[in-house]
Amino acid sequence: MWEKILTGFGYWDIYSWLIFLAIAGFFTLWLRNSGRQDYKEGTYQDEIYFSGNDVPEDGADISVPADSAYWGFIKFFTPYYDFMAKFHNGLVQDYVGYFILFIAVLTTLIVFV
Amino acid sequence: MNWQAHLPALLLAVPLLGAFAAPVFNLGGKTLRNVWFITVSTCVFLVAFALWRDVSVNGILVYVMGGEDFALSLPSGMKLPVRIILEIDAMSAFMALAGSITSMAGAWFSVSYMDRFSGMSRFVSLYFLLTLGMLGMMVTGDLFNFFVFLEIASVASYGLVAFWRDKPQAIEASFKYMVMSQIAAMLVLIAVGFLYGRYNLLNMGALGSVMQMGLVEKVSLALLFSALALKCGSFPMYLWIPDAYAEAPASVSCLLVTVSQASLYGLFRVAFSIYGVSLTNSVVAWAIIILGLISMLVAVSMAVVQHEVKRLMAYHAISQTGYMMLGVGIGLLVLGNPEALAEYGFTALKGGVFHIFNHAMYKGLLFLTAGTLFYMTGSRDLNKMGGLIRRSPGTAFMFVIAAAAIAGLPPMNGYTSKLLIYQSSFAVHPFITVVALVTSVLTLASFVKVFQTAFLGPEHKALVNARKVPSTMMVGMGILTVAILLLTFLPGSALSNLVEPAAKALVDQAGYIGAIMGGAF
Repeated sequence: MWEKILTGFGYWDIYSWLIFLAIAGFFTLWLRNSGRQDYKEGTYQDEIYFSGNDVPEDGADISVPADSAYWGFIKFFTPYYDFMAKFHNGLVQDYVGYFILFIAVLTTLIVFV
Repeated sequence: MNWQAHLPALLLAVPLLGAFAAPVFNLGGKTLRNVWFITVSTCVFLVAFALWRDVSVNGILVYVMGGEDFALSLPSGMKLPVRIILEIDAMSAFMALAGSITSMAGAWFSVSYMDRFSGMSRFVSLYFLLTLGMLGMMVTGDLFNFFVFLEIASVASYGLVAFWRDKPQAIEASFKYMVMSQIAAMLVLIAVGFLYGRYNLLNMGALGSVMQMGLVEKVSLALLFSALALKCGSFPMYLWIPDAYAEAPASVSCLLVTVSQASLYGLFRVAFSIYGVSLTNSVVAWAIIILGLISMLVAVSMAVVQHEVKRLMAYHAISQTGYMMLGVGIGLLVLGNPEALAEYGFTALKGGVFHIFNHAMYKGLLFLTAGTLFYMTGSRDLNKMGGLIRRSPGTAFMFVIAAAAIAGLPPMNGYTSKLLIYQSSFAVHPFITVVALVTSVLTLASFVKVFQTAFLGPEHKALVNARKVPSTMMVGMGILTVAILLLTFLPGSALSNLVEPAAKALVDQAGYIGAIMGGAF
């Protein structure tokens, strides 16, 4: 129950990891507590800084939508995603076609190789 | 013979009774129907757990239906098994345990989640039929009965995917799934027919005992492989999955994960227990490995760009199937090489098998949390969500547990199974490990996106009246969370008691055959 998990190349011991997490957590909290002591909850210190502008009332106006996440990654891989969009075209006859093609290739490999 | 000898039959009889009695209990009102729903699903779990314990202690169980003795696979001096035979080894029991847990969690979740919809007696019936088909695929020792259970599960899932039949998208998803699935099922039937015509046998163990590779056997293998790869959602046949998983009610998506894994189990059973040592070349093993790699990378790349939460999770389900195929594929690759099997093949196999159980738990939980988001906001679009951690911190906590597990962050259970796969796949080729690691990074990236957009940030005005999450939905998610935490904090125990016996059973073709054929083998 408490044994290490041997992978053949090393091991995994969750309890060593948890001890490490506890030590790291302790030092993190210690660093945090050694910061400024003049914070007061419910004062101007709690206000959101929005580049000097008024903070919109609706949270939706200052949220980053899911569509905007990893914009650069998606932009870089646009040709790939254009191709994948054609592959995932939603047409069931195409899906069946891919399946038949797959069967043909696999059967050829298994029978002749 | 005590009642425990009938556990294999009970595993199928209980959900069958649950399905056909559901409309009767529905006549007694909503409460009675819900009590029946929860009770039967809990009983299925208890039977599966007892069966797993029994197999762990006593080894392979054989249960003969319609014969002169429940335990006699070769009655009255017959040389070949002809009855309906259930054969449960540690791998089958392992799969049944995972399936029954997700079924129970889904049932608890459904009670409140589906409460506002009509046709609930049909829902409960179909849900239990789906559970029955899935468990049947996992415990049958007969190839034709595997086809029958595959069809039961398929037909039930068509109905459940299209359960919200007023939505055209749900009907379309179910139709696509039906077309693809029926073609696959017909191929399974043709392959079974080929093998029956060649050997006059349908029993998997008996087929394994006489299997000699020829043209018929090779074509049958290709057909079975293709059909089951489609059903489990491998590249390039996974295209039905995002639609079907996204449109089905969340509790059904949770169960569909293990139903797809039952097809993966079928693929492994065919490769290891029927063909096994007859697979003299490595084409099948490499096909499983390469398909696993492509599936994991392509699907995760599609998941990163999704903004519809259940679609995103459906792509991750495909991606995680790739890990299982990779681990078990490496095990199959070195099956005939005892030295390599001992050095890294069995570790890969353990990783792949462990990942099956882990995936069932955390992916099931992720679908339930996605369902909770839909329940709260009425939308599956992440662009319309934000700040929901304030509305339901419990859901956010369980989402984080499941997301950390699927991304393979230490110390979660997903990390343990992935570590076994990474390190053993490195021995085959470092490139394989690189692909697996990149997939994990992208998995983490997309779940960070979900957590940030759905749970963090300021609250949206439109979500001020988000619905409160009912307690039964929390219980459904809680069951899977507890399972994940147990697997996380007791990895040694999980591996030695749950995973290793299953992996050993998978590679022990002689044991699987011997349990049926006995002295005739």
